[in-house]
Parts: sequence; structure tokens; C-alpha cells
Amino acid sequence: MTDQPCMRCKENAAALVVRTEPLCRKCFTKYVHTKVIKRMETFRVRNSAPDQQRKILLPISFGVSSVILLHVLDHHLKNQKAKTGRTGYVLIVLFVDTSSVECLAQRENLLSQCQERYPDHKYASAPLHDVFSIQSPEHKSLLGLVSEMDLEPEADRTATEQLSALMKSLTSATARADVISTLRTRLIVQYAKLTGCEGVLWGDSTTRLAEKTLAETAKGRGFSLPWQIADGASPFGVTFNYPLRDVLKKELVAYAELSEPTLLPLFNDSSSNTQQPSMSSKNTTIDNLMEQYFESVEENFPSIVSNVVRTTSRLEPSQGSASESRCKLCSMPVSDGRFGIHGWGGDQQDGLENLSAERSHGLCYGCTRSIPQAAASRNLSG
Amino acid sequence: MPPTPCAICRTNRALILRPKDHSKLCKECFINVFETEIHHTVTTNNLFNRGEKIAIGASGGKDSTVLASVLKTLNERYDYGVELILLSIDEGIKGYRDDSLETVKRNAKQYDMPLTILGYDELYGWTMDQVVEQVGKKGNCTYCGVFRRQALDRGAVRLGVKHVVTGHNADDVAETVLMNLLRGDLPRLSRTTSIVTSTPSASNDPNSHTNIKRSKPLKYAYEKEIVLYAHHKNLDYFSTECIYSPEAFRGSARALIKNLERVRPSAILDVVRSGEDMAKLVPGADESCGGACSSQVPAAEEEEGGCGSSNGRNAGGKMASMEAHLAQNEVAAENGLEIEITMNGVNGQRHNRQDGGTASVVNGKKGRAKGQAFTPRKAPKQQVMGQCKRCGYLSSQEICKACVLLESLNKNRPKNHIEVSSHMQEETNGEVHNVTRG
Repeated sequence: MTDQPCMRCKENAAALVVRTEPLCRKCFTKYVHTKVIKRMETFRVRNSAPDQQRKILLPISFGVSSVILLHVLDHHLKNQKAKTGRTGYVLIVLFVDTSSVECLAQRENLLSQCQERYPDHKYASAPLHDVFSIQSPEHKSLLGLVSEMDLEPEADRTATEQLSALMKSLTSATARADVISTLRTRLIVQYAKLTGCEGVLWGDSTTRLAEKTLAETAKGRGFSLPWQIADGASPFGVTFNYPLRDVLKKELVAYAELSEPTLLPLFNDSSSNTQQPSMSSKNTTIDNLMEQYFESVEENFPSIVSNVVRTTSRLEPSQGSASESRCKLCSMPVSDGRFGIHGWGGDQQDGLENLSAERSHGLCYGCTRSIPQAAASRNLSG
Repeated sequence: MPPTPCAICRTNRALILRPKDHSKLCKECFINVFETEIHHTVTTNNLFNRGEKIAIGASGGKDSTVLASVLKTLNERYDYGVELILLSIDEGIKGYRDDSLETVKRNAKQYDMPLTILGYDELYGWTMDQVVEQVGKKGNCTYCGVFRRQALDRGAVRLGVKHVVTGHNADDVAETVLMNLLRGDLPRLSRTTSIVTSTPSASNDPNSHTNIKRSKPLKYAYEKEIVLYAHHKNLDYFSTECIYSPEAFRGSARALIKNLERVRPSAILDVVRSGEDMAKLVPGADESCGGACSSQVPAAEEEEGGCGSSNGRNAGGKMASMEAHLAQNEVAAENGLEIEITMNGVNGQRHNRQDGGTASVVNGKKGRAKGQAFTPRKAPKQQVMGQCKRCGYLSSQEICKACVLLESLNKNRPKNHIEVSSHMQEETNGEVHNVTRG
């Protein structure tokens, strides 16, 4: 492979083949940067008033994608500054610490190492249980949910206790992963609003977005896909953008390997590649399944992966969805009050008691699948 | 440990772990629950009208056998007042259909329902074995699927039936949802999730075969439960899979569904729910009534993919060719965008870096198409349904898919159907015909 010349500069030896094109390290770097910056057009210098800095939140998990996004955007900002004397936006980097609820081989001090390497941005870390203590309008619904579940009737529990009570009530690995990621998104949105950010930049690659499309479909969250895949307004009052949406996961992995100086010390150990695909279905989650699936599809059919994402981005949010009532857990607008898992074609029970009890819980279909206890406790007592 | 009692009757011993929700049931309660759920599907969706004559698309396989058995039971128990008949299509696959058709014939006796068998050779002049001989094993499922769809409708007309029910189950529907996401086909995603479809008549002829209602009473029934039901009711069905393997997209989606079910039993139903919800979010869907009315019956598929056979062992075929096509579009789009930018400066002087004139025109076109895709929420082009000019079947194209496929098949087989104007040629042709036939 190294014998081939780079197809773009025709000078250097190719370091890898990207979608049939042999590229050298330099041209590949440029390729990735171009794809990201093309997606950042709305954040050009000319789109921001000199006296008002636009702030955007960049959640970082120390996986390959989010670290590379920070790296590329740091570069982007430096270029803006060099060219125009100012930048089109500032970044606030947020790490959500989920170590209390999931086992991750987390290295120490990754955040401060990032800060050392990219010192121009603000950095913050928040534990997942903050989602219960940050005051916001949606905050009440979440507290209401936990107390309704009657896990522990004391009202004055700490946020940590509330989180662990909620997690303890979940019965499957899929449900735990689902609830953790839902809470994480909530916290990130709360934090963005709290710090005056107009939007969130997510690190999802093409491959990750395709995984998410099929995983959310499998979890009964198809209704919320228009808000989870497309760039632009989210239903939460901040914008969502996915600048890595045109870069495949394997390309990001290659980028990390070729980076100079290397980015490797900034990643946490449990990078997805080394993860043992545990075949016991007890610990496998729907997300794991889709990750494995698209890893193989990406290998031979990268354009099919991009096509899934491109197609799903065309789904339109239902009309008037902004004013619709929200799910108490994921905060997504639920059309026509179709809360819960009952009362549709696929529900074969005639009982209306289930239906009204469940609807009153205010959880969407997908969240009800993950937290069935809320509905069950009512049914048993009633 | 004492035996676990049934979760429903609490008296009998539980023998069945219900696949859908893992509840433990006794045999009687399981059969009862299964039948009640189908009844629920039939009544809440108003699938049947009293006095209606309904053809069950019967293959002798587990799905259609269970469908026939359950519908007979329910029709008697709840007095639907419908007349049920069996309609079988003989694709002409030796070793697959011969035996399964024997099963259908026995079913007809067991359920006391009249049976009609229609052959592909009768309808199209080709058996599937002959098709495979000609086109190879790749892509033959397309032929089979396209032909079968029309075959059922044509058969229905012969029997004077306006409604055909098929044995599509929840696994099939979920598989189709994932498959259409993988293929990036939103319009089809939205059409195939519907429990009732119809081929609305494009002509006023009441005997036209374009006015047949289709429904899937087993849409929410799990495949595993269908097998359990057949087993515990001792139903006589033929269990084999089509000997020709499914194309890659369907095989891939099917494998995924099986894995999902293992991780979370409700996942099949959840995919179906997602599919129904997403159908409403497809741009252009239900546009005429602003998305408010869901009563509208979607037009049926002209082509409904392959059969539901279950092993995904061939990995190539359609996925590879779609990949190649998409990759080409991407390259073209990238070049096309560059052309558009340079055009501002050079004023119409197009020079593609790689090659000359024709390529740049093509790329320019692709570039524009991609350019639109950047502005979000582009509505896919609306299909206008008309009639096939050859056979009169409902089609979005001038010539329907079946006729197009037939044309390509017939082109490669010298036959007496070829029309020749000159006498001379007719003679020579006749000789050729004799030679090949003889």
C-alpha cells in the first residue's frame, strides 16, 4: 500500500486508502478537516457579531470521535483567528462523568490533559447525577418520575441517591444503557442552557449516526429520529449539530493513529475496538448489536452507511411538535399524547385501565420499554 | 421446586415461555391468547366486512397455515360472517413447491375451504426454475416477488374476490422496516408498515385486477409464536425454506432482527411501532390531508421484495451493487460541487480535472442533485400511479415491473411469441423455433 503515490498531491507515498482513493497522511488530514469544517459553515466569523461571542457546547467522552472533533475545531478556531483576528464561536467542553453507574476503564486526568493541549477553551466536568439537581423547567418532571416510581418514599434524597435508585430499578443491560444515554443528553442540554450556549456539537460519526438510527428504531423510538439525526433545531431550545457526520468511524480511527503529535494519550482505554463483544445476550445491549453490525457493513459498504444517515435526515418532525407534551424522561415531544406502550395496533390488550394509568405516567413508548416498573407498580396496586 | 402455574389461569402447569413477553403459560391459555390477539387485530382495524369473500394466500408454510386455521376458528367463534377460500401460487420450484402444494391440498380438506392453484407458467410462461436457469441465483427473488404479487391479484379476480389476506408476521414487517432503512427507501418504508394496502383501480372496469384489498392479520404476531401455535394445535404445515437464498439486504435485516429479539424480546414489536411512527414522518406522506388523517389506505407495493426466507448466507449481490452506485454518486457529487464553484469565475467554461465534456455534464447534474440534498428536508418525488400499458396492472411506470422483467426474460429465449412482419423472416424464425423446441 505504501508503494502507491497519494492520489491528491501525487508527491508523497499513500498512507492509507480512503473510499478507493490512496492518500498520504497530509492529504488525509486535510480530507477529514474539510469534511468537518464544511459542516461548521453556520459558525463562520462573518455570522457572528464582533461584540457578542457565540458559545457552543462540545460534550467530550474521550472516545475517538469527540477528541478528534475537539482537535479539528481547535485547529479551525486558530485558523479563524489568524485570518480575521477573531473567532466565529467559542467552545465549552463538558465531560459527563458516568462512572457511578457504568464501569468504564477511565484514565485519570484526561480532562486536564485536554485542557493543557488545547488551552483556548473552557472546560467543565459534571457527574451524571447533576441531572437531578440542576434547576430547569423540565427538571420537575424527572423528579416526579422518580418519586412516582415509589422507589424510596423519602423526599429529601440526594441527587446521587435518586440516580442510583433509578438505575437499580432497571432490569436489563439495554435499559441501563438507554437510560444512561438519555440522562446524559438531558444533562448536556441543561448545561448548555445554563452556560448560555446556543447549541451542542455532537461527536457522532457517520457510522455512529447509522447505528443510532437502527438502534433507536429497535427501541421503539422511531418517532424521535428526526431530532436525533439531523442538524439544526432540537426540541430542547438549543441547536444540535453533528460536524463529523460525513466521516466514517474507521476513518476517525485511522486519523487517530496517524496523528502527530499523537492523540492517543487523550483517549480513554475502553475504545470500542478493543471491547470484547460479549456474546451472552444478558450483557449485550441493542447499541452493542448495532455497533457490531455496522462495523461489518462499514468495512465493505461504506456508502450504504452514509446513505442510511442521509435518508434518515430527511424525516420531518411532525407538525406542531414544539407545542406537544413531552416525555418525562427523554423530553421528546410525543404526538397525540401517545404515551406508554399500550393503545396501538401492536398492543393486544383491550383493558383501558392500563392505558390511562400508563398515559398519566407521561413516558414515551421507548422510555416505557426501559422503565416498565412505573406502569407495573400502578397496575399491581390498582 | 413446585411446577410454575400458568400466569393467566393460575391452575394449569405452565409449559410455554411466551416469546413475545417471556410470560409462562399453559398450552390452553397460550392458544387462547394467541387467537384473541389476532381477533383483536381484526376487529380494531376493521379488516373484514360481513358477507365478504376472502382469499387466503396459502403456501403450505407455517404462516399461511396458521392464518387459515385461526381465521376459520375466529370466523366461527365470533361470527365474522365471511367466506374464506384458499389461493395458492405455484412458482414452479421443484422440491419446494411440489410438497408444499400437497400440504395446501390437505389443508383445503382439513379446513373445508375451496382451493385454487395458479402456476407461474400459466400466468407468465415461466416457472421459477426456468427463470433461475436463465438469470442465475442472484436476483431471482426479485422475479419471484414481483410475479407473486400480481399472481395473487390475478388469482383473486378469477375467483371474484376483492380481498386477499397474507401470512406476513411481525418478524417480516420488522425486517422490512430495517431493510428499507438500510436501502434508504423512505417511500417504501411508509407504505409497507400499513396493515391494509390496496391496489386502487385505475380503470372503471369492475373486473380489473387493480382493485384488490390486501391485509396482514398476523402483522403483530411473532414468528416464534406462530410456530408454537402450529405445533400445539398439531397443524399440518410444510416446513422448508425456499431453496434460493434471499438477497443480501433482506438476509442482513433478518439476521439483525433475530439478534435483537434475543437481546430484548419486545424488540420486534418495537421496530414495527417505530416503522408505523416513522411512516408519518416521511415527507410527502399523507400530504393531502396535512398528516391529520390516517384513515387513508396506502397504495400497495408494485414490488414487495423477495420471499421471507431466512438465511443470510450470500453477502454480495444487491448490497454490493448499491454500494458501487452510491460510491459513484459521491465522487460525482464532490466533483460536481467543485465544478459549480469554478463556474462562477470561468463563466460556463467547464473543465473537469479528470476528463472532458461528457463527464462534466453528468457530474454537473449529479452535483446539483447533491446540492439540493444539503438543503434539508427535500421531499422525495411523488409517485403517480397509473396502469401498465401491457397488462393493465397498477404501476408507477408506463410498463409494470413484471412486464419489464418478462420482456428481458423473453428476449433471451427464442419463442413463438416473437412477432415478425415479413413472411420470409417468419419462415426462418419458425425453423429456429422448431429447432430449439425440438
